[in-house]
Amino acid sequence: MAQPFEGPLSTEYIGTPLDLFDDEKAWVVKWPRSMEHHHTYGMLTPFFKGLTEGKLLATKCVNPKCPHKSTWLPPRADCPDCYARTEWVQVPSEGKIYAYTMLDYTGIGIEMKAPYWQIDVEIKGVDTIFKGFLLRGKPVTGLPVKAMFRTKNPTHTILDICWVPKED
Amino acid sequence: MITFGKGNLRVPKWSKRVFMVAGGCTPFRKYFPEYKLEELVMIAYKMMLEDNALKLSPKEIKDSIQYCAYGEFADHFQDQLLCEAKIHDYLGLEPMWNNGIKTGGATGGAAVLNGAMAIASGYANCVLVAGWERMDEVDTRTGNFYIATAACKDFETRMGRIYSSYYAPMANRFAEQYNLSEVTRAKIAVKNRGYAVSNPNAQQPGRHTVEEVLASRMSAYPLRFLECCAMTAGAASVLLCDEEMAYKLSDTPCELFMAGGTHTLRVADRRPMEIPLLPNEEPGQYDKLLAESGRWPGFESFLAARFAAYMAYRMAGIKDPLEELDLVELHDAFTISDIQTYGDIGLRPYGQEPDYIESGDAYFGGKCPSNLSGGLLGTMHAVGATGIWQAAEVLWQVQGKYDHFHGLDRWWKRAGKQKPADYENLQVPNAKQGLWISHAGVGSHVTCGILRKAW
Ligand SMILES: [Zn+2]
Repeated sequence: MAQPFEGPLSTEYIGTPLDLFDDEKAWVVKWPRSMEHHHTYGMLTPFFKGLTEGKLLATKCVNPKCPHKSTWLPPRADCPDCYARTEWVQVPSEGKIYAYTMLDYTGIGIEMKAPYWQIDVEIKGVDTIFKGFLLRGKPVTGLPVKAMFRTKNPTHTILDICWVPKED
Repeated sequence: MITFGKGNLRVPKWSKRVFMVAGGCTPFRKYFPEYKLEELVMIAYKMMLEDNALKLSPKEIKDSIQYCAYGEFADHFQDQLLCEAKIHDYLGLEPMWNNGIKTGGATGGAAVLNGAMAIASGYANCVLVAGWERMDEVDTRTGNFYIATAACKDFETRMGRIYSSYYAPMANRFAEQYNLSEVTRAKIAVKNRGYAVSNPNAQQPGRHTVEEVLASRMSAYPLRFLECCAMTAGAASVLLCDEEMAYKLSDTPCELFMAGGTHTLRVADRRPMEIPLLPNEEPGQYDKLLAESGRWPGFESFLAARFAAYMAYRMAGIKDPLEELDLVELHDAFTISDIQTYGDIGLRPYGQEPDYIESGDAYFGGKCPSNLSGGLLGTMHAVGATGIWQAAEVLWQVQGKYDHFHGLDRWWKRAGKQKPADYENLQVPNAKQGLWISHAGVGSHVTCGILRKAW
């Protein structure tokens, strides 16, 4: 015969009581929490590492049978047109402003001091357009810009690249 | 230049015809502490069962449902995984199968499309489509943070952490390419918020002026607060049937034609491509526009919306949308997304979108009024419910029931409001056919549904 399982004989509340908003019609409880995610850059790791080394890396499909052989920035490890594995290529760290906006009101967690300009940059030889922010200056469509890299104290995020007017 | 595969362009064909017979919704509010989520869904569901002149009792309809498609945008907001199971249980619909549907802002439309597929395939002949969102568990800026996670977390989210900042670059680009003035944009906010005054369920009704809109706080340049929809708590539902069940349940069923389209999550990833032409467009029509703008859809238009309309018009046999549609409900989460869609669905050719507003066609009494419900700007964006509620508003228009569902004192009382003295009956006379667009991301998923009078 199996031995009876010797489980606990009692327990106690070890949580933190929740604050209550006593709304007129219903109880509403306040439930704070914080958490940490461990997010991988996977096969795009060279791109983010590249930013910290002052390099702007894109991926290119070099499959001779691919109908488009596009160059992707943001990069992607697999070509969506032919499913071949793409290759890393360094692209010019300059381009032209394609579109822009100014951020003022933002959600929590914003890491840039608002207000600031968010820009979309057209880069020669790249088939897509690349989103970033303007470190200084004022955007107009078509304005030539050059990239700056946060090689010191990198954030290890996309914020390690930003743009300034080329004439700066 | 990206082109499309022949097989990819096959027009969907239902195996069985699909009908919509009833709709329901809750009042929509920023903050709804008096009801739990499942209680809100029950309010919408019961309204659908009890107030649509159905010929079977609520219990008999409950006993007829074989499948449910449930729309919910974000587990973050509900803070509850498998909400579908809670709702399904609360509505007493076990053991019938349900699917939870998630396609961002297009979740509601996608849920209707999923329900329609169940009817069209013969899996079911009576389908409940219900959707919900409660965005009131967190404060507004945390809500903005959650919504911004519907941009690419690696390459976009950190650039803004507010969704208006992903639309705003498109607004600037569109203004430059297609000569759009901010006044035209503001007119959309004035129009839709104004129509919301006559909707008892509306969260943000108001008689605004263009000057007020343009003077409101900047969210992301050039989009002002009054050009952006709010966060909402609420629910909506519609009932789908096959032909036999539709006429058994209703004397005023509407036939449903519906398709969807998709495109990249990151708008900047959109490579130049051929424009799939609508039935009223000619080959070569856009050669000049393409030569000038350099890329389509670029930042001006949505392939997903164009593709959905391309399919839905062919399913429904619609040749000229502006002439044949009596009204539309568009996804005006932002004034700019509303304008961009006019070209995609053929209310105007690409490049002439602002004229749909300026001509008066978009207004009540105009050729094809849009968002008489108040839209997302004026009435609601409880995301998982939105595309379902829009469908209900189109259904009620085609059924000639606008005034019944907006004018009766009981609805104003239910919403805890007084019917305003300037209430307008916005029933489109003799409406026979209407369209609604449900739209996600910066155009990642779009559904196009058409409801046609079938009695
Ligand atoms: Zn390839």
